[in-house]
Amino acid sequence: MSRFDLSGAPADLDALRAALQHPGSGGFCTFEGWVRDSNEGRQVDGLDYEAYDDLARAEGDLIIAEAIARYGVADARCVHRTGQLKVGDLAVWVGVAAAHRDEAFRACRYIIDEIKHRLPIWKKEHYLDGDTAWVACTHVHREHEHEHVHHDRIGPPFTPDYSRQTRLKEVGEAGQARLAAAKVLVIGAGGLGCPVLSYLAGAGVGTLGVVDGDRLDASNLHRQTMYDARDVGELKAELAAKRIAALNPTVAVQTWTEPLHAGNITEVFAEFDLVVECTDDMASRYLSNDAAILTGAPLILASVYQYEGQLQVVSAKPGAPCLRCLWPDEPAPGVAGSCVESGVLGPVPGVLGAMQAAEALKILLDLPRQADDVLLLYNLLDHTSQRLPIDVASGCARHGGCVEVAACAMASAQDGADISLSFVHLAAALSAGFILVDVRDPDEIAADPLDAPSRRIPASQAASRAAELDGNPVLLICASGRRSDHAARLLREQGLSNVHSLAGGLNALERRSAAVAAGST
Amino acid sequence: MITVSLQYFAQLREQAGTSAETWSTAAGSLRELYAELGARHGFLLPAEALKVAVNARFSDWSGPLSDGDTVVFIPPVAGG
Repeated sequence: MSRFDLSGAPADLDALRAALQHPGSGGFCTFEGWVRDSNEGRQVDGLDYEAYDDLARAEGDLIIAEAIARYGVADARCVHRTGQLKVGDLAVWVGVAAAHRDEAFRACRYIIDEIKHRLPIWKKEHYLDGDTAWVACTHVHREHEHEHVHHDRIGPPFTPDYSRQTRLKEVGEAGQARLAAAKVLVIGAGGLGCPVLSYLAGAGVGTLGVVDGDRLDASNLHRQTMYDARDVGELKAELAAKRIAALNPTVAVQTWTEPLHAGNITEVFAEFDLVVECTDDMASRYLSNDAAILTGAPLILASVYQYEGQLQVVSAKPGAPCLRCLWPDEPAPGVAGSCVESGVLGPVPGVLGAMQAAEALKILLDLPRQADDVLLLYNLLDHTSQRLPIDVASGCARHGGCVEVAACAMASAQDGADISLSFVHLAAALSAGFILVDVRDPDEIAADPLDAPSRRIPASQAASRAAELDGNPVLLICASGRRSDHAARLLREQGLSNVHSLAGGLNALERRSAAVAAGST
Repeated sequence: MITVSLQYFAQLREQAGTSAETWSTAAGSLRELYAELGARHGFLLPAEALKVAVNARFSDWSGPLSDGDTVVFIPPVAGG
């Protein structure tokens, strides 16, 4: 039986619909593609479709079979028109019947994307000015390429069972529907991110975004419980996406394998209902804070240090405090301590991450919550915790309010977008006219000296020795790029517009000696 | 002289070598108290990089100090 048809005449939609009706199907999803009156600015009067008939039919059937297998839907049909069509005519019809709506929507999307991408069908557009042109489908966004499905385990379609949480009277079916409709962005898939992603995927949050630019390191495994020893060296965002798909295949996952930056972060935040900040990077936390304030997306911040952690919910509502209300400026790198430098007991980020997941679910489900204007401190050695109310009046309010402060900081981050420069070898920077300044501490330089002429000014002294750097283009260099970036920003604030930082630091260079292992979340 | 209870978090706990101590001081403000403790424990963080809370409420560095207060110093932390 053929589920795909090419037709020179209008399709019988009632018959197509009837063919898909089945008592076991609880959801029916259709897509209709119509002839539009314009394309790329030109007024369109109508068009001709031409198909390579045999191949189009075979490929169309194959696409539908793939969708049925991939999403476990009950049945699907597709009809594509050929011949002359006028504006408003139906050009393509896709219908999918399934037990539940989610797989019906996704299979429908898969079929239309693949039809547009793979079928040997061409269209000639007729323009109002009398001209005609053959139009190629040059680029089709295929949503399923951004999904992560386990292809190596094709079995019966999985139906999640959320009964243990819907039994809670505050959750119920209505709460479950809210979760299914929710989109949550998780920045950092490390010690905090693993429990956040696992719990939110398990709870049935409809869409999870995962941002992480790092690859898994063996030193991550004592606290990053989503990963296996065999995953070392792989991108964590991709690994996390696979793990989520294995845990709950009904969750849609989007991944970013580069950190967000001032140029794209507000655009990304605007696509989500809620953001959970799980990185070990102070600059990322401040950037996320500013983006949350500017987009109104609630942000759940947590961080850990050895045996203790901090938790703060930035509701991004007018009058509620933000991260900058507590600590107005990002501390210099090294001051705040990271897991690499200070060490951390594995379950500590596990506990704080689980608390972030709980906060996220409470916000999404509108469960009873404590006020947001507190900083929570938790110590796992002695099990003491403190809830410290944040005094809004003494925070950003003194500098025009959170929105004003965030807008300034974001503008300055965007201005500084040219601070970081990438070079493969230091020789390239020298030949480009840069004076190299090594901002590492003397003992680091002694252990791993630069193989190029450089001046030495420790990062902590850079701002006070600005006068020595005025004039020529300067490239600041440290091990990872964090200290040099911070120092470059301080120098720019003093008016030294020609100061730059080596992106990724020495770790990112191709050097004679083996690169020193990079730190990780 | 007054006596206050001190609590340290994160790097400050590490540098002080304890999470809590009782301290007798003649300091007239929180800023003076932190300077005194910084000299004693070798704290690396400037006061501006910290938050200070007195009796479970955030306070200004210029805020006063009374006998029996519990003072908590909180740095931002970044681990994850």
